Amino acid sequence: MRGVRARLTATLVALVALTALVLGVGSYVFVDASLHDRFRDDAAAQARFDLEVLIPGSGLPERPSRADLEAAGLIAAFARQPQSDTIVDVGDGDPAVAAFLGLFSSRLRDLVQGGGLAYEWTSIAGRPRLVVGGRLPPDGPDFYFVHDASAIEQALVTLRVALLVGGIVLALLALLAARWVARGVLAPVDAAARAAERIERGDLGARVPVASRDEFGDWAERFNRMADTLQDTISRLEASQAQNRRFVSDVSHELRTPLTALVAEASILREHLGALPPDARRTGELLVGDVARLRTLVDELMELSRFDAAAERVLLEPVDLGSLVQRIAATRAAGTPVTVPDVQLVVRTEPRRLERIVANLLDNAREHAPAAQAEVRVRARDGWAYVEVLDRGPGVPAERLDRIFERFYKVDPSRTGGSSGLGLAIAAEHAAVLGGDLRAFNRSQGGLRIALRIPVTEPLPRGDGGANPAHDSGAPTPTTQESPS
Amino acid sequence: MDGNILLVEDDPSIREVTAIGLRNAGFDVTTASDGQEGLDRFRAAPFDLLLLDVMLPRMDGLELCRAVRRTSTVPILMLTARGDTIDVVVGLEAGADDYVKKPFEVPELVARVRAALRRANREAAEDGRLRLGELTIDTAGRTVEREGRDIALTRTEFDLLVELARRPGQVMTQDVLLDRVWGYDYMGDSRLVDVAMQRLRAKIERDPSSPELVLTVRGAGYKSAR
Repeated sequence: MRGVRARLTATLVALVALTALVLGVGSYVFVDASLHDRFRDDAAAQARFDLEVLIPGSGLPERPSRADLEAAGLIAAFARQPQSDTIVDVGDGDPAVAAFLGLFSSRLRDLVQGGGLAYEWTSIAGRPRLVVGGRLPPDGPDFYFVHDASAIEQALVTLRVALLVGGIVLALLALLAARWVARGVLAPVDAAARAAERIERGDLGARVPVASRDEFGDWAERFNRMADTLQDTISRLEASQAQNRRFVSDVSHELRTPLTALVAEASILREHLGALPPDARRTGELLVGDVARLRTLVDELMELSRFDAAAERVLLEPVDLGSLVQRIAATRAAGTPVTVPDVQLVVRTEPRRLERIVANLLDNAREHAPAAQAEVRVRARDGWAYVEVLDRGPGVPAERLDRIFERFYKVDPSRTGGSSGLGLAIAAEHAAVLGGDLRAFNRSQGGLRIALRIPVTEPLPRGDGGANPAHDSGAPTPTTQESPS
Repeated sequence: MDGNILLVEDDPSIREVTAIGLRNAGFDVTTASDGQEGLDRFRAAPFDLLLLDVMLPRMDGLELCRAVRRTSTVPILMLTARGDTIDVVVGLEAGADDYVKKPFEVPELVARVRAALRRANREAAEDGRLRLGELTIDTAGRTVEREGRDIALTRTEFDLLVELARRPGQVMTQDVLLDRVWGYDYMGDSRLVDVAMQRLRAKIERDPSSPELVLTVRGAGYKSAR
């Protein structure tokens, strides 16, 4: 995006700059040449006039001396000519004249002594000069007309400055214009990016404005049609999902009333099982057990439907993870070995949810490896705290590892254990609410390892005993909801 | 220690089996199937304890609870469908002393009813005055005042305050408070104590966000100021 804009801008500016450079250099060279040519032509015409008209008409003698020239009034006439000095070499070896002649190139003097009209661009006393020389026929004296060409140089300097400033202004204008053009060209792309970003954030109603009847316009229309379809599909999916969830929630609620009656009835029946005839007694026992199972199932469905309704409130508080997990393991599966880190590991979390997760993991371990003891490990790594429950059961085929957190998923459908098949799904939901997740791994020595991962955000407190191990003897930590520390 | 119980529950099966369970435990049970009928029966005869379903036709359990509280301190237990903190708060606000979460087993319910009745009886026998900070607590008249002004507390809030005021500076865990105030060892739901404590503080503390009379001991429980 940005790359395209920069390239577009750079290309346009470079084109304009190149054009300006070519035009500027070209016009400068042309003006430079024509100014010099004109100046030289004027000077040459003047010299020719002097040599062929002015001097012969002044009645000089053959081989005139400097005094003759003065007498003829020529020196004064030359002095009146603008912007030129005249040096006359009468061949008398005058040292002042010789010094001047030394400033001219020998080639110029040779040409002049050969009888031709010659010129030379040179610099005398720091100023540019045009020297035009010619010999009065047949053999002298030699006249050198020295013209001051500063005006040309000044004009050229002015021109250079003007061209440079003009070029810069042009480049800046080109830059602005290029940005404007680039923005215009890329505006549909920007609009599409914004729309895509809004869709990504969940605003499925975002659309690209169809601003033109060109390729971008067609593309925008196609994009919008795609978004329409997407929105339609997703809202239909959401509606059916919401319907599903409502159904589960409704079913659980509707089951609640008869279940309450059943639980109460079974609890009375249980007290009187001994009074029943033997065949009815066994049936009664089964009934009591099944009511308990049904109760667990409905409880868990209700718990899940609360997650689905996103009605979860989280009350985070600083918790010493090691001692909390030890406590949970001691109450839920006494005798389970728990490995905790040497350093106290404090996390901000909700103990009730953590207890639910760990208890469900322990239940799962017990169910799949009833004979062997499970093991719990608490550790911290890379800003995460891990609580791992390891069992020595049969493990899970690798391709199904992720699926064990699905609702009612059973690795071996023929097994009908006591569990509802919702325990791990519930644990995973709680983990997500706590900002973490659950992942399952097969252990190399056999068995399953399920790791709860939750973020460590709390710096380790010291001093006033925010989570003092001395207090972990069973008293629940007050929730942050109403407990100022 | 038998008693006269009014049970208001709309579902016939739950109503009947609950009544059977309570009668088996030795209580006299009168039943009503909606809130209005419950209120009528309550006004017609004296009861030792009320057991109210929250969701009731005609007048819901919370409304019935409030109506009863206007004239009586009879112990009230709510039967709630959910154990959410919000339900506990709403129930306590309406003046209930305790709640029993559905589904319940009858022996559990009976234990809770007995505990509530025991409390009600115990309170009648008590007599004396306690001081906590600027508060004067009259345990016989069941009133609390600050600088001559009465503070209205529910039964549970009052009991909680008395329990803490009797042992100034002594830390009491949520479990101990559950046992002493509510009268049973109810595993796991320390929220009941925390919610009641929050409500108590809102009434007795000058600034509930920095309490001075009842202090929190992090990781342990609560204690009253010395």
